[in-house]
Amino acid sequence: MPPIAQYVFNGLVTGGILALPAVAFSLLWRLLRFPNFAVSTYLTVGAYLALALNHGLHAPIGLAWLGALAGTGAVALAVDRIAFRPMRDRRPFSLAIASIGVAFVLENVVRFIWSNDFRSYDIPVTRAMSVAGLRIGRDQLLILGVAIVLMALAQMYLFRTRLGIAMRATADNPLLAAVKGVPTERVVAVATLGGGALAGGAGVFLGLDASIDPLMGAGLIISVFAAAILGGVGSAPGALFGALIVGTVEEVGTILIPPTYKSAIGFAIIIVVLLIRPTGLAGARA
Amino acid sequence: MTSYLIAIAILVGIRALLTLGLNVQWGLAGLVNLGVVAFFAIGAYTSALLAVGGVSLAAAWPAAIALASLAGCGLAMVALRLREDYLAIVTLCFSEVLRLFLLNESWLTRGANGVTGIPRPLHARFAGHYDLFYLGLVLAALAFVYWALERLRRAPFGRVLRAIREDETVAAVAGKPVFRFKVQAFALGAGVAGLAGIFFAHYLAYIEPNMFLPQESLFVWLALILGGSGNNRGALLGSAVLLGLLEGSRFLKDVIPFLTGVQLAAAQQILVGVVLVVLMIRRPEGLLPERPGH
Repeated sequence: MPPIAQYVFNGLVTGGILALPAVAFSLLWRLLRFPNFAVSTYLTVGAYLALALNHGLHAPIGLAWLGALAGTGAVALAVDRIAFRPMRDRRPFSLAIASIGVAFVLENVVRFIWSNDFRSYDIPVTRAMSVAGLRIGRDQLLILGVAIVLMALAQMYLFRTRLGIAMRATADNPLLAAVKGVPTERVVAVATLGGGALAGGAGVFLGLDASIDPLMGAGLIISVFAAAILGGVGSAPGALFGALIVGTVEEVGTILIPPTYKSAIGFAIIIVVLLIRPTGLAGARA
Repeated sequence: MTSYLIAIAILVGIRALLTLGLNVQWGLAGLVNLGVVAFFAIGAYTSALLAVGGVSLAAAWPAAIALASLAGCGLAMVALRLREDYLAIVTLCFSEVLRLFLLNESWLTRGANGVTGIPRPLHARFAGHYDLFYLGLVLAALAFVYWALERLRRAPFGRVLRAIREDETVAAVAGKPVFRFKVQAFALGAGVAGLAGIFFAHYLAYIEPNMFLPQESLFVWLALILGGSGNNRGALLGSAVLLGLLEGSRFLKDVIPFLTGVQLAAAQQILVGVVLVVLMIRRPEGLLPERPGH
């Protein structure tokens, strides 16, 4: 059996991937006041967009990744305009149900085009490094690094730019923000675009780390919820730490229980957090 | 063709039961349950495993309903204090974890192989036209549940639930034990879903974990919203229309013959998803809106 440190490292990589959709899900939840179940499907969309660029146009994976960022952001924006915008003033539950419908449509569009087969990207094979007895893949390091940089950028955007600050104001109190002249719809559009892009980029990472199939995003949905709730809904750094913890606990947990129960660990985390500290680690008002 | 229609009618009946169960929780009490398929699965598995193990159906069926109800009660105790968006997440996750349990605990559930040879009640006596008999059975159960729920809806219990749905605080101020009513409504709905699961398992005589995917909960919601939540007639209509949609789109193959099997299934699901989203935007009150005062 590999040392525990190996599980922790793999967990951190999973957590890094998880952090991107978790931040998107968490911020959009706070901003629009409903849990958007389609966010985890944006991972699938991103992975397949990159696949189309990588296989169809022979784009190198880095370029395909950028394409997936832009493409998934655009898909998320289109979804928001078509499905969610006409329902802005409805109760959270109606929007949540509609978002499940959207997820279902997107997943099946992917299935319609690419079928149920497992796929992978055309990338040069690299050998895993061995550091202090740990197997560390080069793309794993890259994934972790890029995920952390993206998180830092998101955080800077939220605190240093006008629109980012407007976004936080709208999340706190939409009415007051609107009265103060914050362009609510523009804020929502930017957040949706950014959230979609983050999730789409994570999908490519997931495809590199594991494999690509129409259910890849949906399979992560419980872990994404767990990360966002653990971190505290609406907090970007909270979602990052939540994701790293959830990823690590799920990975290390496979020492004790079968790996097929990974999402059960996520569910247990959700229940425990909601019972003990519903506001999550970051303690934002729920 | 007749036998096909009878089979469809049986499935509509089972779906209608499931929808009625959700209507107690959501339509009547306003409780979000995105994991309704979990209680359907608990009913199906409990009854199937007991029956295959030699327990008589007269004992297996009540046990299955009781266990589904109990599970609903347990989940409700944990989750019903949460805000509705959290409740949506918790119930959905619950059904997924239950499916994982069914897949992995093969010592109890036979895992991915599923449960085979589930006995069909009175099969020997009605050999030859068994489906017709089974349809009668399902319809009788449906009629009974419908009647009971209609009575309940008009009874003080139903009125309190509707009051809680409209404004919890007012109901609490009026001295109603809100939490207890909610848990009861949730458990009752779960029990009805469990009954639907029983009919499902003993009709197909075979069940496996992937029959209980989260999308099944989505279908139940679609049926409920389509028909019009809050009233039981709507739940019946919605179930029939939904199955018409699912079955009807099967004939897409005749219109567009170049689609593969996977593409056809995907197209069907896309249609279902689009209908749901359009419905939520355009007509959230459904085909038969709840009449005020009834």
